Amino acid sequence: MQVLIYIWRNLKRNKLRSMLTILSVGFSLALMTVLHGYMAMQGEWGKEAEKHGRIVVMNSQGFSGTVPIAYVDRIRGMPGIDAATPYAWYGGNYKEEQMPFAQFATDPNAVFNVWDEYHIDPAELAAWRSTRSGCVVDRRLAAKRKWKIGEKIPLQGTFYPFNLDLVLCGMFDSPKNTDSLWFHWQYLDEGLKAMNAPGSGNAGTIFAKLARAEATSGVAQAIDDRFVSSENPTRTQTEAAFAQMFADMLGNIQDYIRNIGLAVAFSLTLVAANAMAMSMRERTTEIAVLKAIGFSRLRVLVTVLGESCWMTLLGGTLGVAIGCLCLQLLHQINSQFFPFAIHEMLGAWLLYLFAISAGIGVASGVVPAVRAAQLSVIDGLRRVV
Amino acid sequence: MSNAIPENGDPIVAVHNVCKEFHRNAITIPVLMGINLRLDRGDYLALMGPSGSGKSTLLNLVAGLDRPTSGTVTVCGESLEKSSESRLARWRSRHIGFIFQLYNLIPVLTAYENVELPLTLTSLPRRERKEHVDAALEVVGLSDRADHYPRQLSGGQEQRVAIARAIAADPTLLVADEPTGDLDAKSATEILDLMERLNREFHKTIIMVTHDPEAADRAKQVLHLHKGVLVEGLHAVEGA
Repeated sequence: MQVLIYIWRNLKRNKLRSMLTILSVGFSLALMTVLHGYMAMQGEWGKEAEKHGRIVVMNSQGFSGTVPIAYVDRIRGMPGIDAATPYAWYGGNYKEEQMPFAQFATDPNAVFNVWDEYHIDPAELAAWRSTRSGCVVDRRLAAKRKWKIGEKIPLQGTFYPFNLDLVLCGMFDSPKNTDSLWFHWQYLDEGLKAMNAPGSGNAGTIFAKLARAEATSGVAQAIDDRFVSSENPTRTQTEAAFAQMFADMLGNIQDYIRNIGLAVAFSLTLVAANAMAMSMRERTTEIAVLKAIGFSRLRVLVTVLGESCWMTLLGGTLGVAIGCLCLQLLHQINSQFFPFAIHEMLGAWLLYLFAISAGIGVASGVVPAVRAAQLSVIDGLRRVV
Repeated sequence: MSNAIPENGDPIVAVHNVCKEFHRNAITIPVLMGINLRLDRGDYLALMGPSGSGKSTLLNLVAGLDRPTSGTVTVCGESLEKSSESRLARWRSRHIGFIFQLYNLIPVLTAYENVELPLTLTSLPRRERKEHVDAALEVVGLSDRADHYPRQLSGGQEQRVAIARAIAADPTLLVADEPTGDLDAKSATEILDLMERLNREFHKTIIMVTHDPEAADRAKQVLHLHKGVLVEGLHAVEGA
């Protein structure tokens, strides 16, 4: 117990140096927490998507190719498929805001069968189905924007050269805030046709609900086989793999994050090691006294290592807490890209960050600790004894 | 390790034909030559001599902080020249109390915690540790300063806390290196009174290095070291 008191008081011996070291560890760990939290969120997103037995059909060339709208009905008719809907990203601007929320052109008769975990009032769904310029939105998006039924929602096309004048017909409830707006695919398609604009007849992607979630690979292969000889061959994958594809579009971002994290950890180790080395140098005589009165090498080693680990763990805890707070704020500000609250994604990645903090403590303390442990009592005491 | 205190008749310190050399680059520097010394229970020895005469080196050998180049050093029944580093550390915590010239208290610990420090190396429960610390602080007359940090104490008080730390674990031998060297005359007298009392009332065996003849006069025995050789003293015996 007294060793813990000694370690704690030593940290307070040079408050500015300890504080700066703790803050440097804390700030870096906060950054790493956000980055690793984002990666963990991707994983959670994938796991969540796996539960619902959905597959996504897209052109084999990716987003640069098209999937004809006719494929929707063909896929609906295939064995193992319960429902299918076109799902085209619109990406429009709302008033002065650039793509402030997600907007998708879809089939109101099928979309709630594909996302059967979402719920909407039947009367509102009927109103949407019967209103070509109608739309429905996630209830949390409506609440955030203070939209009410009948709200006019003008969207200015960015990818598509056709602007939408939508009317809010209903609000749906989803397990996670999707920050999404759904409107009639046909409304978009008719507008494009009227303008002779490219892109008409294109479903964007097709989302399909499987009768049995475990039949994913067989059904996906059957779909791709069916269209392999067409002008628009497809690539079908699980919703989880589709979500992962977005993460992969950023490149080897996970490798970058890990490598940057390791580089940060290394530089932090040097910073903390410098602080520990200075601290030990100032306490050479004191360490010699401890050894003279009977502290063994091991006890001195553990005491110094404990001090460095305690310092970096304090910084790490502070950093992880700040990072988690940032992730929670990002979730509240933009739940489309940060769909999980922090309490929903607690996991091993957080332990990994604490392990990084402790690792920095051990690595930064090991040289000063070994030197302290090996210190000759006589040299340390110099002229005293 | 033998923790047993030597029986009556066995010396507390037995130094036999000890030589100590230091090596600097290719040069060998002899510091102690053929030292023989015996201290019995309750002895109070003052080691005097000019700087560089080997006083502190001899003290380090007796305290188990260094090993002789040749010869044997047996203290409290332990042959120090053969013991491992970790064994010596444990042995020191049981048998040796250190009093340094510059007190060397741990500045982040209170007087109480400084005195308790060597006791944390023992298996004593917290309650017994407190009894030991309270008794030690009582002996040095600083019970009312237990919660003070070293920076809140005068030099003399710091040295008294250091003495309390040295005696807290009830060691067999006290080694003191210039215990009054950094103190004013009044404080030095108090410290010498205290050490004399420890020897007289508590029968502590003390070996003290000093340049101060007044301090040396308080000891029961005075030995002089000159160029690594003991030149006079009551208990300097051949073949001890």
